[in-house]
Amino acid sequence: MNFFGLLLGLATLLIIGLGFVWVIRGEYYLGYLWWPYIMGLGILIVIACLFVPSNWISALLGIFGASLVWGSTELKEQAVRAEIGWYPYNPTTRPAPPYVDKIKNWPAPHI
Amino acid sequence: MTLNWIGLVAAVTTFMGVWIGHVSVRKIEYISPTVWVPSGVALFLGVLLELGALVSENPYLSALLGIFGVTVLWDALEFWRQHRRVEKGHAPANPDNPRHTRLLRTSAMSTTMDWLDRNPTGRLLSTEELRAIQEGRL
Repeated sequence: MNFFGLLLGLATLLIIGLGFVWVIRGEYYLGYLWWPYIMGLGILIVIACLFVPSNWISALLGIFGASLVWGSTELKEQAVRAEIGWYPYNPTTRPAPPYVDKIKNWPAPHI
Repeated sequence: MTLNWIGLVAAVTTFMGVWIGHVSVRKIEYISPTVWVPSGVALFLGVLLELGALVSENPYLSALLGIFGVTVLWDALEFWRQHRRVEKGHAPANPDNPRHTRLLRTSAMSTTMDWLDRNPTGRLLSTEELRAIQEGRL
């Protein structure tokens, strides 16, 4: 019996569960225009995991990085949900990400 | 320096598992007359994948099966959540699906239109705008 995959699966469940929370909070406090930074951070973490000798730590980092990339594609839809009134809408001015004008011209990814 | 590929396998499996689940749960729930059949199939497949993870000695295969299996088990739950979304109007109902036509009849919130098929505006939408979206004017 090899518990490696099963335990990684359980960790994936927790990390994805955490994703539901940070996407909602992230959209509320930062706004969906931060998506390229979240995506970039996720990609960096996935690249970094290649250099980690421990299988456990490398795999957990990979799962976390992938969930950041996925979550970054959910931010736009979460912004729409908040504007429709399904989630709390943050009426205050949120911090603009660096190069916000460029980011506004990019189509926010959504899967 | 030798690279450790296990993390990349875990990352790609996580992303693909979530992606495949996200798309297929929506498509299957849209056309399926029942929720319990696709949900039960996902539950069965998920358990099989986890058993596969337990018996495979290869760490790459064990990680792949274990992670993908969990996303499939999550999908089993998502079929029910998606049904609830259709009931609340948060996901579009299919007028050709008898289960959805029942929801369209019994739930005032359910609708065939997709509320989320739009871009953010940067402000909270007014009641007037929400009505315009509902009536297909916006």
